[in-house]
Amino acid sequence: MRPRIGWRDHTLGFVLGLAYVVLLFVTAGDIAMSRDEGFYVRAGEDYARWFSDFAEDASAASSPEGVEAGWSFNHEHPALIKSLFALSWLAHEKYELYPTDSLAFRFPAMVMGGLLLWLIYIFGARVFGRRAGIFAALSFALIPRVFYHAHLNAFDVPIVLMVTLAVYAYWRALRSRWWVIGFGLIYGLALATKHNAWILPGIFLIHFTWMCLGIRADRRRGRTVSARISVRPWWMISMAILGPAIFIASWPWLWHDTLPRIGWYIRFHTSHEYYNMEYFGRNYFRPPFPISFPFVMTLFTVPLTTLALGVYGLVQRGRAMLPLRLGEKLAPESDVTPDTSRTDVLLVGCLLAPLVVIALPSSPIFGGTKHWITAYPFLCLYAGLGFYKVATIFRQRAGRKLPFARHLAPTFAAALLLSPAALETMHSHPFGLSHYTAIAGGVPGAADHGMNRQFWGFTTGSVLPFLKEAMPDGGTVYLNDTTPGAWAMLRRDGLIPDNLRPSYDLARSDYVLVHHEKHFAEVDHQAWVAFGSTAPVHVLTYDGVPIVTIYENPRRR
Amino acid sequence: MADSTQTTDPARPSLRRILPWWLMVAIALTELGSHALVRSRVPDDSDWEAAAAFVDEHFEDGDMIGVGPDWADPLLRLHLGQRIDLAIAGASDLAPFERYWELSIRGQPSRWRPEGEEALVEQFGRVAVRRWDLGPSPVRFDLTSNLQQAKVSQGPRPCTWRNRAVTGGGLGRGPLEPAARHFCGPQSWLFVGETVNEDLELLPRHCIWQHPVAGQPVTTTYEGIPLGDRLVLYAGLYSEHERMEEHPPVRVRVEVDGEPVGEMIHRDGDGWKRIEAAMPDQPRGDVSIVVEADAPHLRTLCWAATTREGERR
Repeated sequence: MRPRIGWRDHTLGFVLGLAYVVLLFVTAGDIAMSRDEGFYVRAGEDYARWFSDFAEDASAASSPEGVEAGWSFNHEHPALIKSLFALSWLAHEKYELYPTDSLAFRFPAMVMGGLLLWLIYIFGARVFGRRAGIFAALSFALIPRVFYHAHLNAFDVPIVLMVTLAVYAYWRALRSRWWVIGFGLIYGLALATKHNAWILPGIFLIHFTWMCLGIRADRRRGRTVSARISVRPWWMISMAILGPAIFIASWPWLWHDTLPRIGWYIRFHTSHEYYNMEYFGRNYFRPPFPISFPFVMTLFTVPLTTLALGVYGLVQRGRAMLPLRLGEKLAPESDVTPDTSRTDVLLVGCLLAPLVVIALPSSPIFGGTKHWITAYPFLCLYAGLGFYKVATIFRQRAGRKLPFARHLAPTFAAALLLSPAALETMHSHPFGLSHYTAIAGGVPGAADHGMNRQFWGFTTGSVLPFLKEAMPDGGTVYLNDTTPGAWAMLRRDGLIPDNLRPSYDLARSDYVLVHHEKHFAEVDHQAWVAFGSTAPVHVLTYDGVPIVTIYENPRRR
Repeated sequence: MADSTQTTDPARPSLRRILPWWLMVAIALTELGSHALVRSRVPDDSDWEAAAAFVDEHFEDGDMIGVGPDWADPLLRLHLGQRIDLAIAGASDLAPFERYWELSIRGQPSRWRPEGEEALVEQFGRVAVRRWDLGPSPVRFDLTSNLQQAKVSQGPRPCTWRNRAVTGGGLGRGPLEPAARHFCGPQSWLFVGETVNEDLELLPRHCIWQHPVAGQPVTTTYEGIPLGDRLVLYAGLYSEHERMEEHPPVRVRVEVDGEPVGEMIHRDGDGWKRIEAAMPDQPRGDVSIVVEADAPHLRTLCWAATTREGERR
């Protein structure tokens, strides 16, 4: 019997999510805005203006010219999440809700991070039990790179929420007609969040086919098959009708020239330019990319204990992922059997598909772990199961020796097994993307291996104290990978004075920043020639590894 | 599915049954311990400062400094940058130097670590300092560091030595145009000047920028310099102009008193390429570096050269 999920579970999920949002909210100020966030801020402000115009004159705002004015910037990504940024910004403009402007843009995605924990708990509780669910949610929250991305006004954590929610809705839709409609709506919202949602129909189709074949085999062998399970693909009809409708409805840019614009959007992502990415000492900038990349990066960035529990959980359910007969043959002593919905196949498909897509040699490797971050909730669900299994063993053992400790045993086990992830996550802040776990040898070990040290230029935030002290009367800074928009947000947030200005002329800047990514080496060399010295005035380090180097123009001396 | 995960056996767990628990505990404790270990191995600033002060005190002309691992290079230059000029930071080999200092952390060798035994080893906290005495340098003349005394021409037209404020730079812009250079024009990149190039391996190379032009050679001539027995020439292109391997080659010819003595055909993908040209048996001569390309677009050639005599023991 699956546990009956009730209001107590939702209260617990809500509290978990709320606690995470509070944690993100109070730590967000430590992380300067990243490249992509700067673009989404601008898009959010454009959208906000359009929403205001729409409230005044819906007809004019909806005209081709009105839509072009409001929605043409950053139309390589759908509008849903940026619209939330825009609404949050409008609310902040009116009611001054947030202590800083950046939080106005970041808050919606933080809330989605909180909702995601709630969802993982509920999903995990339904599939593997409450203890597994709560451990899964916590272990996801405590993946250092997830914690970093959860702070940002970007789409990465929102798409994890939408993908996980779509999978959950699909899974529920196999047994419930109401969820069939809900699934279609949610899939549309996922499409309107980011293009990661494109791979979901393939996963669902494979799973559904597998499930139907399994049910046929079950019936042949006289196994009980739940009458509520539907082998008619209602979910597909719902997805096909509601998904595109919501996708287009939520994105005014598609309201005119709809098909050509959808075509442009698809082509943009299927023929995306290649970025530079350092991997084992080599700077990759064109395909073929190494197949191992997403797997090694997962190994190097997800806490080892979480990974180990995930693998243990997967092994525990291994037989349930096989056809019945094959499972009996390979593991005759196991009492693990697949459920009617073949839930394990669905979860493992959702865990592997994002990794496999990025592992394809032709897929650009352009942003590190965030491109398969949608796999992590499913990894954590199995980590939750792994935890449940080992905690049960511990509970029995402890309970036999110390009966009074029996009830505390799971809590103690959870605290012990989550402590590495908690420590790594705490230590990763605010360097998120520079962080590597123990299996990589930590940050210095990853540097030894020649792994990418950062991207997006967000570490500029960590050198602001130096820059402010060095330029009390103002000056100019060459920002390397930090965009002017991200710098402007630092000013709007009051973190830098107005007289510290970005410069596009490296040689004439007062200070030059070099964010240490392998392919930025030329900026170092240019600074040496410009300033006639190889000596920096400041090096920001993280566990002893250079993250940002700063050069000073000799004219300031 | 929750039913299949429930434990029904209340009996004393066998070793096999409790093993997963202890394995996970061991992994968690190992992860916690590794985290502490990694952090404890990070050198303090005071270690770097003490090591740098020691090297600075004993530094002599002709010394070279490197660091292991490579990624610690900004920290080396933070503490010893005053001793690391472009020739050291962008060296092509160790020939110009007579002693080699290495600062090392994490037990990692530097890229330039010579073979043979160190002359000195000192430990400053977590920073190790080693020195190798390389012996007298075989270099007789460094063309890269003496560009101002050279004459430069684009075809028959001489280029002029100019000095102005440095501008520009930035990602994807390639080697920075130096303040002082032989300007040939008319385009701003048609000059011959001392700079630092990011080679195909993204390593710094102290070199002479000498961009070819269509239809005529660009020639840099050093008059009456010591020849030694050979000239060692390195050349490469700005990494972003070479890495796609889609452009035609560049020719670099070495001439002594107008006679060709060596030639490098640099093709995309060659990286920082080396040739040796034998010198005529005479103590001095006029050495020219001639750069040509049939299609000079994005042929951002940069070279470094020295004349040398004999081998170091």
